[in-house]
Amino acid sequence: MTTRTASDPTGPVDQGFRKHGMWSQGWQRFRRNKTGMLGLVLVGFIFLVAVFSPLLAPHDPFDQSAMLQFRSKAPPSWSHPLGTDRMGYDVASRVIYGAPTALFVGLGAMLVAATIGITLGGISGYVGGVADELLMRITEFFLVIPIFIVVLVMVRIFGILVLGTALEKIPYLNLTTIVFILGVFGWPPIARMARAEFLRLKEAEFVEAARCIGVERKSIIFRHILPNAFPSLVVLIALGIGGAILMEAMISFLGFGDPKAISWGQALYFNYEFLKISPWASIAAGTAIFITVLGFNLLADGLTDALNPRLKE
Amino acid sequence: MVPAAGNNGRLLEVKDLRIHFYTGSGIVKAVDGISYGLKPGQTLGVVGESGSGKTISSLALLRLIPRPGKIISGKILFEDEDLTAKTETEMIAVRGKKIAMIFQNPAYSLNPIYSIGAQLGEILVWHEKVSQKAAQERAAELLQLVGIADPVSRLRQFPHELSGGMKQRVCIARALLCNPALVLADEPTTNLDVTIQAQILDLLMELKNRFHMAMILVTHDMGVVARTADRIVVMYAGRICEEANTKVIFRDPRHPYTKALLETMPRVDQSYTADSRNRLVVIPGRIPNLVDPPTGCRFHPRCAVAMEECSTILPEPVDVAGGHTVSCLKYSGGGTAS
Repeated sequence: MTTRTASDPTGPVDQGFRKHGMWSQGWQRFRRNKTGMLGLVLVGFIFLVAVFSPLLAPHDPFDQSAMLQFRSKAPPSWSHPLGTDRMGYDVASRVIYGAPTALFVGLGAMLVAATIGITLGGISGYVGGVADELLMRITEFFLVIPIFIVVLVMVRIFGILVLGTALEKIPYLNLTTIVFILGVFGWPPIARMARAEFLRLKEAEFVEAARCIGVERKSIIFRHILPNAFPSLVVLIALGIGGAILMEAMISFLGFGDPKAISWGQALYFNYEFLKISPWASIAAGTAIFITVLGFNLLADGLTDALNPRLKE
Repeated sequence: MVPAAGNNGRLLEVKDLRIHFYTGSGIVKAVDGISYGLKPGQTLGVVGESGSGKTISSLALLRLIPRPGKIISGKILFEDEDLTAKTETEMIAVRGKKIAMIFQNPAYSLNPIYSIGAQLGEILVWHEKVSQKAAQERAAELLQLVGIADPVSRLRQFPHELSGGMKQRVCIARALLCNPALVLADEPTTNLDVTIQAQILDLLMELKNRFHMAMILVTHDMGVVARTADRIVVMYAGRICEEANTKVIFRDPRHPYTKALLETMPRVDQSYTADSRNRLVVIPGRIPNLVDPPTGCRFHPRCAVAMEECSTILPEPVDVAGGHTVSCLKYSGGGTAS
């Protein structure tokens, strides 16, 4: 018996035939996706830069000594590979130190958004009925709020409120506030996707089968439904990370960012007036934002292709 | 191992079960007063068209009727305990352990993201409180039993790596893991190739006899029950038309619906053409809307031998011969019954 046909279960298992579960299958497909891989490389690059920023940066990012030597707005040179900006900062160092900030914003905001979104969407889809109706109306309410304006207002109000209190001493409080608000207002798309997936999966036959063999509800939800809903959610989250980074850049560009944090948007804010005199400062920060957001979007795109075609038989 | 059984040696006794679905367009009386019993080791075939309530009545045994359905009255006595009175927590201990289910579509009844071993082990660890290692050994043993070669490496495979027939074998193994007293098989062969159907049925019967399990086989295929069931219940529109031993049903069907159902079976020894004389037999009309079922006998609008009173009087089951009950006015009126 050399070949194993579909109807013959008695043949030996063909070892070359084994490919494992959903994630490794997704990886197989993802690897063949050129744009997805490019996204992964870009995101990986940003991560590496963020992790090794203290080693990579040629100068202290808070070092403004160039200004004292009348060397602010200086073009790229050996000591300042990307030049200096109008405040006398080394552009390269500021861009490199901007990476951890950007990732903190993107990942932090999506962590908050995913937690809220998956919880509410999951409850909505699984429980259904009145709870579903209520939660979805709340979701729609959050969806129609112009987030950007709300964030600007809240950041400013919060910044004033904490003045003179003990909270003021928390490092990067302003940035954390932005992250939190982006998360709190960014969950509706995730909630809707989670609801749709829970609705689909709670009626799925394997979930029904699991119920029939006496699997309790907790394990139905966390072991059977949630992991199957994850591929769709991961795509949204990856997309959301890029979105949150872009949003923070916009907030900082308008001068509402955290003055103590090093952010690409802030660099644009500091330097846009001198675009003609020292374009390198703006171009470097803009390119960093572009690469990061593009990376996450391409990654999300690749993940969609890799994870969402329903598993082959 | 013979499970403890009370009430006249019966393992399962369903009494006057009614299941209604409260939908937007009205109350759907999906199951409307059915009663049947099952002895340990016996196989009961439940036959009927789609929408006759056969699947719902078997899901009711596990108390897993999809919303908005509800058991509104009736009793389900299983091993002398009323399942309708149990709490959800108590039911979890019954599902899979005492009553197991095999599904219609093996392709979708296994979770795509877990290996076979993980899915089989889950049940054992949960119900029998054994270690993962012991669970895997037992799972391998059962895979062997259902005719899967090289079970240990199969345990590491994922559902999409198996063929349909093999998946159904895995589902059968999963149902048998905890030695249930009763197995519910909902159209277990409908979605399989014809060649595999017979294999799976033979396997089910063999295992059933080996472990002395009772089985309820829900199907629309008279051919399937003919070779497997001891007794047959024929359902139509949420009610039982006829119940009798398998041989009796095939040899001496009394209810017009049963007769019609048997006539619709294609025969090998007859050729069929498109012209009116030699066409496949169909039962005229459609299964009624269960929100507003026909008055009287539910089959009367499609019945070839309906009488006038059929549209007003709801026939009660009548015992026409030892253990052969028919719900038809022809037998309860001036008929054979005395």
